[in-house]
Amino acid sequence: MDKHNLWSIRLGFSGKQSPLIAAMGLEKFLEKSFASKFNKSVPDFLENSPKTIQELRAKRQALQNSASEDAKEMLKKELQVSFEMKAWWITKMQSEDYPLREKMTCFWHNHFVSTYQKVKVNHWIFQHNQLLREQAFGNFKTLTKQILQTNAMVRYLDNVDNRRDKINENLSRELLELFTLGIGNYTEEDIKNGAKGLAGLNLGEDQAVYRKLLENNDTITYFGKTGKFKAEEMVDIIFEQQAAPYLLTRKILQWFIYDNPPETLVTYYGDYFRKVDFEIKPLLIKIFTEEYPKDTAGSKIKDPLVYILQLMHELNATEMNPKLVAFFLKQQGMDLFNQPNVKGWNGGKEWLTSQIYLQRNNVADLLCDGRSWNRRIQFTNEMMSENMPQLKVKINWNRNGNHKSIIADLVNSLLFKTDENLQKEWESILKYDFNPKAENADYAVLRLFNAMVKTPEFQII
Amino acid sequence: MLPDFLHAFGSQPNLVMGEPCLVFIQLNGGNDGLNTFVPYDNPLYYQLRSKIALSKDSVISKNNGMAFHPALKNFAEIQQKGDMSILQNVGYPEPNRSHFRSQEIWQTASAPNQYLSEGWLGRYLDLQCKEHQPTAGINLDAIDNLALKGKEPNFITVKDPNRFKIRTDKDDTVKLSDNPQLDFVRKIAYSVTEGAEEIQQALTKSTAEMSYPKTNLGKNLEWIARLIKGNLNSKVYYTSQNGYDTHDNQLAIHQRNLEELNDAVYSFYKDLKQANLLQNVTIVVFSEFGRRVKDNGNGTDHGTAAPLFVIGGNNRGKVLGSNPDLSDLDEGDLKYQIDFRSVYASLLNHKLEFDYQSIGITSKPINGLF
Repeated sequence: MDKHNLWSIRLGFSGKQSPLIAAMGLEKFLEKSFASKFNKSVPDFLENSPKTIQELRAKRQALQNSASEDAKEMLKKELQVSFEMKAWWITKMQSEDYPLREKMTCFWHNHFVSTYQKVKVNHWIFQHNQLLREQAFGNFKTLTKQILQTNAMVRYLDNVDNRRDKINENLSRELLELFTLGIGNYTEEDIKNGAKGLAGLNLGEDQAVYRKLLENNDTITYFGKTGKFKAEEMVDIIFEQQAAPYLLTRKILQWFIYDNPPETLVTYYGDYFRKVDFEIKPLLIKIFTEEYPKDTAGSKIKDPLVYILQLMHELNATEMNPKLVAFFLKQQGMDLFNQPNVKGWNGGKEWLTSQIYLQRNNVADLLCDGRSWNRRIQFTNEMMSENMPQLKVKINWNRNGNHKSIIADLVNSLLFKTDENLQKEWESILKYDFNPKAENADYAVLRLFNAMVKTPEFQII
Repeated sequence: MLPDFLHAFGSQPNLVMGEPCLVFIQLNGGNDGLNTFVPYDNPLYYQLRSKIALSKDSVISKNNGMAFHPALKNFAEIQQKGDMSILQNVGYPEPNRSHFRSQEIWQTASAPNQYLSEGWLGRYLDLQCKEHQPTAGINLDAIDNLALKGKEPNFITVKDPNRFKIRTDKDDTVKLSDNPQLDFVRKIAYSVTEGAEEIQQALTKSTAEMSYPKTNLGKNLEWIARLIKGNLNSKVYYTSQNGYDTHDNQLAIHQRNLEELNDAVYSFYKDLKQANLLQNVTIVVFSEFGRRVKDNGNGTDHGTAAPLFVIGGNNRGKVLGSNPDLSDLDEGDLKYQIDFRSVYASLLNHKLEFDYQSIGITSKPINGLF
């Protein structure tokens, strides 16, 4: 696989930006990515979803008072809105010229997890998601403070139940365990005291706010410091801790490059992250420019998102319904806005089980066959025989080449490496007497493509 | 003529047929032990849990100061029939109150400060399976399970066995690779073809005779029963039930979860019993930790030790360990009495005839369990 293609997939979701990276070089590409703009208005699909506290309260009352069938209908409607939001995001990921912002938003989405299933208010989930997009290349410390003060997070981690004398530790714990320092770098006392500091931070109109009556104003000791600390001061103290940069640095390396980043790299980039005061942009520039020259292909198992968007890009499957993509992601264990728990998707080897691999292969077969899937159908072989919505697909290949050059081109854009056995297999599909001008040439190349995307090599980037 | 006792032995047709196996049901999120197997006679229980204690009148099957949550009526029945042992205050030293770390400790059987990348069952299967054997362990879950993870992928994760279809094209070019990622994926690709066939065979050999509840857990246990009845001969089955992290609104959520658990386990139990397989199958129900003794209002925060249930596998049907001591707590949590690794040692030693020390477990098996 050539480097531009590899890094196009890493910094986005497919090989789409490969020509751009080749033309302008990595540094310029990063610069343009950081400068990318995004639409700040609220998308249409949220128009009828409740937004203000008052509207939400009214909605809840309507739910309580209405007959169960009506209530079900209302809930179903919001669930559909949630699905629209997934489709909206997937379309964004596909269509951005510089998708790094969306890639990074998705990284944060899986770091500061807050699911629709628990939060149950689409507008808050959207606000949370927009914040991540806005601060995608911002400052980790600032973002941590902002996240603590989202309605989505205070509800997701039960801080709405954390009140003066009725302490709930959930948010306080995950703030330290999963969001910043990581296990082993704090004490149970810090969690208990932190929970007091966070007590009363509750739902507000546009963001979470402290409610005077619910606050706990005890003097607390937090990482050795004593005082009456609230969310912002707590985050300041957390970021003074020695361990502060490493958990996030490790996760960034995992998200973009390595399933198992060497600890020396984590320390190296982490120290730099602290030096630049937890600014994301310089960290990313340093990581990408220093890792780019290295031979790192094949160090990460593809997540379902990259898997499917790459497939669709290669097949020019532009008509594919993004909601069905969302459905596929759910089946593959990467349901957007709905991680299984606060730790988020662990990634790495957990992306693949035998059944998920089987599903991927079945979907690859379908797409290569110019068929989509519908929501009712599971991804098994049975579905192959059913009437599936037709889909136009077409791969780009060089009609002036011969069988070897066509194989080489495809390998280059799909597989991080190849070997003799595979080469033999490819040449048995696209034989030496292959005629690129023949009528069925497209099908033959598509068959080759289909076989390649079912290999273990295609599952890795 | 045969002596009577031998005759009786012979009339139990399936007594020695089939391999022994273990079935694990993991309750994710930290199940509140004190509201599962309840110390209803202890005044401290009511003092510390003013909002969420279960009343003396509601708990069932009272005996020796302990009783079941009302949702567990069939657990009580199974216990009365002598097919269930209850191990009290199961935990481990220096308890960790993080879900992920505590599950990791349970699944790897590591020491509190030791980090292992392979699970205890995975290590067992590595030593037990002479060759790579993809169906030695079956994990019915949405995600892979660390407990079963070993050097070789000797287990399969299946979301729904019905959808597990046989691949027709062969993949015989599969071989190991120096790249660990690729090696892993290739082995999965390999087990996709291998395991699927064996599972399909087992499914065609067995039928669904019992009606199971239409819940996730019910469905998973139904499949496990079918695989066991179809002689798949896996050593280990693993499944889980979510939703036990009851920081708030505990009474309602816990009731619902335990109902689902009770109904699913009871169907499974009846199914195995009817097929004369219960003596071969040891079911273990556990959670990564219990919950704080004192409530936080309508819920409970993360705690430590909790009861563990063993059903079938010819266990002796006793309650082991003393009733939870609510007056001697460690930072508000119960002190553990039985190390969970000694439960593992018993299972490996008594049920699988395996030397538990060879996978690094040093705790001794429990007396009186089997």
